[in-house]
Amino acid sequence: MSNRTLSFWLFLTPVVLGLGIVVVIPFLYGLVYSFTDWNGLRAESFIGLENYIRLFQEDEFMQAVWFTTKFAFVGVLLLNLFGLGLALIVTRNIKSSNLLRTVFFMPNLIGGLILGFIWQFIFISVFGDISGLTGIEGFNGWLSTANTGFWGIVILTCWQMAGYIMIIYIAYLENIPKDLIEAAKIDGASPFQRFKNITFPLVAPAFTISMFLTLSMSFKIYDQNLSLTNGGPADQTQMVAMEIVNTAFSDNDMAYAQAKAVIFFLIVSVVALTQVYYNKKREVEM
Amino acid sequence: MKKVMIMIAASLTLAGCSFSSGGSGEGSGDQVTVEIYQGKVEFKDQFEALAEKYEEENPNVNIEITSVGGGNDYAGSLKTRFASGDEPEIFSVAGPTESESFEEYLADVSDTASADAALEGSLEPVTKDGEVRGLPFNQEGYGLIYNKRVFEEAGVNAEEILSYEDLESAVEELDSQKEELGLEAVFAFPAKEKWVPGSHLSNVFMAPEFDQQVLNAYEAESLEFEKGGEFQRMIDLQNDYSIQPTLTLDYSQQVEQHFSLEEVAIIQQGNWIYPSVEQMDPEFAEENMGIIPIPVEGFEGKMPVGIPNYWGVNKNSGEEEVQASKDFIDFMYTSEIGKEAVLEELKFIPAYEGFDTEEIADPLSKEIYQYSSEGNTIGWVQLGYPGTWGEDIGGYIQQYLSGDMTWDEVEEKSISRWENYRQ
Repeated sequence: MSNRTLSFWLFLTPVVLGLGIVVVIPFLYGLVYSFTDWNGLRAESFIGLENYIRLFQEDEFMQAVWFTTKFAFVGVLLLNLFGLGLALIVTRNIKSSNLLRTVFFMPNLIGGLILGFIWQFIFISVFGDISGLTGIEGFNGWLSTANTGFWGIVILTCWQMAGYIMIIYIAYLENIPKDLIEAAKIDGASPFQRFKNITFPLVAPAFTISMFLTLSMSFKIYDQNLSLTNGGPADQTQMVAMEIVNTAFSDNDMAYAQAKAVIFFLIVSVVALTQVYYNKKREVEM
Repeated sequence: MKKVMIMIAASLTLAGCSFSSGGSGEGSGDQVTVEIYQGKVEFKDQFEALAEKYEEENPNVNIEITSVGGGNDYAGSLKTRFASGDEPEIFSVAGPTESESFEEYLADVSDTASADAALEGSLEPVTKDGEVRGLPFNQEGYGLIYNKRVFEEAGVNAEEILSYEDLESAVEELDSQKEELGLEAVFAFPAKEKWVPGSHLSNVFMAPEFDQQVLNAYEAESLEFEKGGEFQRMIDLQNDYSIQPTLTLDYSQQVEQHFSLEEVAIIQQGNWIYPSVEQMDPEFAEENMGIIPIPVEGFEGKMPVGIPNYWGVNKNSGEEEVQASKDFIDFMYTSEIGKEAVLEELKFIPAYEGFDTEEIADPLSKEIYQYSSEGNTIGWVQLGYPGTWGEDIGGYIQQYLSGDMTWDEVEEKSISRWENYRQ
């Protein structure tokens, strides 16, 4: 307790207050409301676990959870693949590497909503024209089926986030001591062996961070979903966050939405914590 | 212990800093402040100008208008305002379903001049136990909006289209001349917007079942889907002759792109599209837009016209505020200045008597008012749909269009959905 001095608490207070007022207290409120029949205006009675039971009975929420899980799996895989790939390209000694870094990072500076509308235009109008010119059917009717909607969102997120993940990998790649690589070279290790046995283990901490980031981001995605497909067709591309917002604000079923949000919170925290735990164990200390 | 005390004191000071800025703006002296919370951003500026005129005449009243973006988020944000205790004096509610959820806040407005002037039957949906809980905004109507020039060139007479068969042959005629007329397709059917097939189109086929009365729909425990077959063929017709793929076609593409640029001949929409089309092409909007009813067997030549929103006055505000709110609404709909602004600036189709209807600003509204004043209308039962039933059936229709559901399944699911809401 020696460091718990007055100044310690003084410095801590603003953050604790801020966090408490905008995160902790509303969260607790929400938790309580999820056990009531709150409709946004009044909560008349406690109904116990009814909202939670209903949530597992109706397939809308489960469908959204399943869709989001699928998306998170593909998203995490592709994002890390592209992120690391791009990072490896720009850490080579090529002349335009600084320019390339900027270019790859740029999509991340555009807001998700706007990106969604840009890609909606690409998928619908540009792809439609391509199909018209080349006669390839595969370019036609994008976003009008659940499948193309799914890949549409995957492509959009990869395009947006890969640059960001790239930056994290670059930081770790540039920290790898040159002498290690050189020693391996002298010992006759092939480029693949060098990557597998030296580079890869040494960027493991970057994996932890990137996977945590991409995983939680893939689960919480909302704005791209909203502007690209708006859940359509027939709510088949609706992610959990969007499902919750719609339940709350268009169905006006606030308490039910709150219960969904609590479950969502549990899912995300369990997934993210497990993942951090396992990745931490695998990291190599230099 | 001393440390803890200091800590609490410090945190209170910090908290004090951030909160002391609130709570001002109560107004001074005898000023009465009326806050209006409404969901139509389209006429925000014109509405504010009208409020200013009122403030000039009544210097002791201060009117504040908050306009919140259209569609979904209005109801949500209104609830937030009520939940946080920062309640507006006047707000809008849409029909019986919403007026019930705000029941405890809505004052009786039957003593206003506007309530006397309101068109016959327009107050019924918001009347309960003899209390009138809202005053109509305006009237809106929808149907099949067509391009007059294209119809003329194709030799199709819109006035003769009454039955479904008439419409079908007109559509085939237009389709056969697509090339010469410079059309991409006959329709632009925005199946991406669940409300177009789900609320609006379903309404005309549901209304006969409920005897045209929104309250009957509001009270119905179940439904028969009597006109399901007609509903299906209307969707098929619009979908088959539409620009493809319809499932990604949205409202703005339908109205601003395909219709305004004359790429299609017919769209199913209402008089609210007028300002958007006017922005794209004022001449086209003025000269070339006409509207015909959606054909329903036994109800040919009838237009669905209804009152989308009602003004509600908040009972919880002080007595003075309630009176001032009522006075302002009366000023809007019964004073000369107000009436003129409502017609010409807000471009409303009035839902009150005593308006000079010759002055209705745009041709679509004029035609709709014509139908309404002659009594050739179909009721807006969609405002009595339970929960988000309109959106839900819109979703089923999307699945029907994508081939994931048969029409029978659409009907079955819609019926059980309705019954679920009513439990």
